[in-house]
Amino acid sequence: MKVDLNNYNTNEKYTWCPGCGDYNIHMALKKALVDLEKHPSEVVMSFDIGCNGNGGDKIEGFRVKGLHGRAIPFAVGCHLANRKMTVIADIGDGGCLHEGIDHLIHAIRSNYDLTVLIHNNENFALTTGQITSTTKKGKDMYGFPDGKTEGDINIGELVLSLNPSFYAKGYSNDPMQLTEIIKSGIKHKGFSVIEIIQICPTYNPENSAVILNSKISKVDVTDDIGIARKRITSKDKIYTGVIYQNKKIKDYYSLLKNRKNRNTELVNEVKSYGVSNILNDID
Amino acid sequence: MKDRLSIKFGGESGQGINSLGKFVSKALKETGYHTFAYREYPSIIRGGFASYQIDFSSVEVLSPSEKTNILVCIDKEALEKYLFNVYGRGVIFHSVKDFRLSQQAEKYVKENKIKIVYIDTLAISEKEKAPKIMGNMVMLGSIWKVLGLDIKVLQKVVIDFFIQKEGIDLEAEKRCLLAGFNLDEIKDDILEGLPKLKDNKWGKSIVITGNQAIALGAISVGCRAYYAYPMTPATSILEVLGNTYQKTGILVKQAESEITAVQMVMGSMYMGCRAFTATSGGGFDLMTESISCSAMTEIPLVIVLGQRAGPGTGVPTWTGGSDLNVALYSGHGEFPRCVISVSDASDSYTLIQDAFNISEKYQIPVILLTEKHIAESIFNLSSLPKAKEITRGLVKDGRQRYLYTKSGVSPRWIPKAGTTTYLTNSDEHNQEGISTEDEQDIVNMSEKRMRKLIALKKEIPQPKYYGPKNPTIVFVGMGSTKNAVLDAMKLSKKKIGFLHYQYIYPFKGERIIQFAKEKVKIVLIENNQSNGLGKLIKSESNFYISNTINKFDGRPFFVDDILEYLKQ
Repeated sequence: MKVDLNNYNTNEKYTWCPGCGDYNIHMALKKALVDLEKHPSEVVMSFDIGCNGNGGDKIEGFRVKGLHGRAIPFAVGCHLANRKMTVIADIGDGGCLHEGIDHLIHAIRSNYDLTVLIHNNENFALTTGQITSTTKKGKDMYGFPDGKTEGDINIGELVLSLNPSFYAKGYSNDPMQLTEIIKSGIKHKGFSVIEIIQICPTYNPENSAVILNSKISKVDVTDDIGIARKRITSKDKIYTGVIYQNKKIKDYYSLLKNRKNRNTELVNEVKSYGVSNILNDID
Repeated sequence: MKDRLSIKFGGESGQGINSLGKFVSKALKETGYHTFAYREYPSIIRGGFASYQIDFSSVEVLSPSEKTNILVCIDKEALEKYLFNVYGRGVIFHSVKDFRLSQQAEKYVKENKIKIVYIDTLAISEKEKAPKIMGNMVMLGSIWKVLGLDIKVLQKVVIDFFIQKEGIDLEAEKRCLLAGFNLDEIKDDILEGLPKLKDNKWGKSIVITGNQAIALGAISVGCRAYYAYPMTPATSILEVLGNTYQKTGILVKQAESEITAVQMVMGSMYMGCRAFTATSGGGFDLMTESISCSAMTEIPLVIVLGQRAGPGTGVPTWTGGSDLNVALYSGHGEFPRCVISVSDASDSYTLIQDAFNISEKYQIPVILLTEKHIAESIFNLSSLPKAKEITRGLVKDGRQRYLYTKSGVSPRWIPKAGTTTYLTNSDEHNQEGISTEDEQDIVNMSEKRMRKLIALKKEIPQPKYYGPKNPTIVFVGMGSTKNAVLDAMKLSKKKIGFLHYQYIYPFKGERIIQFAKEKVKIVLIENNQSNGLGKLIKSESNFYISNTINKFDGRPFFVDDILEYLKQ
């Protein structure tokens, strides 16, 4: 099917703040899907609750806006049922690192073949600016004028500690690079974690484009976890690009012995089955 | 009790009680008796008591008796405890060397004319040059002898089992079995005082647990994925589906939490696959947000809720029926759902099939209730019931995913290349799925969803009545309470009936009202303290049942409980 960006555009009104990073992230996602010649009907997008989730009606495709924190397990259920579809989980730092952090951890170790986009704007923005584990120390936030008491989570460090197969970091002010990163993530056969540094002019103006632009440095993909670790723990620089990729780790489904030599997807197998042969095993 | 015998094996958990019970249960079935097997075990791996009780008869047996006619104990503590669980004129076999009765026990044994037979299984197994554990085989052989049954049947059951295991000395197993069978001190007349069974006529049949039946029912109706987190008494569904997945090709995934499991189910169901999950109370509580989400997004969802006793962690390996309330009322907001309750292995098989069909056809969450007592007890069926046909209510393609319709059911089509895309939304939404805060949209869409209950209520059957035409007492209940009452019917002279609720919600109250008009005594029977079903009946039919029989000690209703109640 021939596709262009118009296939992905909808008539819904944008409800994000002026200058929000979500505009560019959406654009990059659409462009990546078009470049990969994916028709919207071949794409399933599992949106979380938050500003990112409010983009669910602003892009075409089979979109699901479900529960806060649960975009990943829902996406996994979709992927396992029909691997012919391109499945993307779209989630913020709040949903991903707070409500549903267990899902991220187990999805990495399970290495399901799907892509997760983490919109990291360093706060819960839709509920008007509460602290998350990526909020900068000392920053005055909703209900906490003294700032965050708890420590931080460095998404890259967390991901790399779990023997991942793909971790990338993009930047909402560089949609061209982000497009390429998302394309690499979708093409990667395994669980692709893409963290996106997202500009939030309303609740996180300190993390401005001016400051970020001066710190960002683009890197090429590596399969050396030591190099990758250095990239994400640097104090002065923010490295973007595909930080780490390991093509040797097989994806979950392809390791299932009982699915080997089966050419159909689970969705194609819903029909009546006789159970007498199984009954004999149980009896 | 006439035409009905009970044999109970007791020991430390880990001593092989389960295997003993299984062998006897299966061999009794092979000789043509109808059997029902009931397990009690603690929530620990080693130590503590475990028991395996088999009730058998020439007629159908659906529930356990409170006590046993024949007790077999291979452990001192179990013997001390279960000794008081033997009916008058019963027989105790044990292998506890130098066992001395306590004063209390001696009194009980004497008053109830109970015979005690000691078998030195250890010495015999040693003599047969077999390992200690094969003392169990000696015991088994002796029991079979006194039952007067064909040893070849038991031998075959035992060999069929061990032949699949590695590193087993089959010949030694056989020697021990025969040594027990041929013991001089075992006399045929030892069971003289026990009830006589009529001829065994059941012929070919299968033994199956409620959970096995649920797993088989799901397979038969096209379920292709199972996601779950371990929790008694739901875990054994995972066992069956996992141990058969090489044959079936079903994807079985042990998820990191119940929340994950239920979300994965929803993802797969959304894509058009059939998937389900099973859990118990605590895990179900974690799933409740997803139940609400399923109803709102109109993504079909099937959850099996295996009930056990108590709030919190409760009494994990014991039974109860106290979770109807969460099945009915869990989840925020107002939304349609369907609640179904199984009662035995037969309807476990068919009702899971119904659960899938209803869930897909009406695009609603369906909660299938079972109980530890149904999930893990071993039922004897002549054969599995006929499988239900698959109905899914799918269309090939559509325009508006949440189209307003008279039935409330909107067109649902499977997401795949070339079909119309749509937004599935847990925000309140319009017919296109787009989020809305418009007051009219909210009302219209809420009403659309709720309308589904009207059609569903028409489709589901009335509660099933068992019993004579003009009963004097009608018990009303759900789940395993049915089995104890049906067994009591065979033993009591009173004209009793049972009105059995399988389809709990949407609720159908007409038949209760009818009985009430006929001035029949109605008795609510519930395996809980606070009458969840009774409250539903009151709220739906405005009929209050004042006579109740409740049990909430972790045990199921025994047939004796019903007979005792009827004496009043």
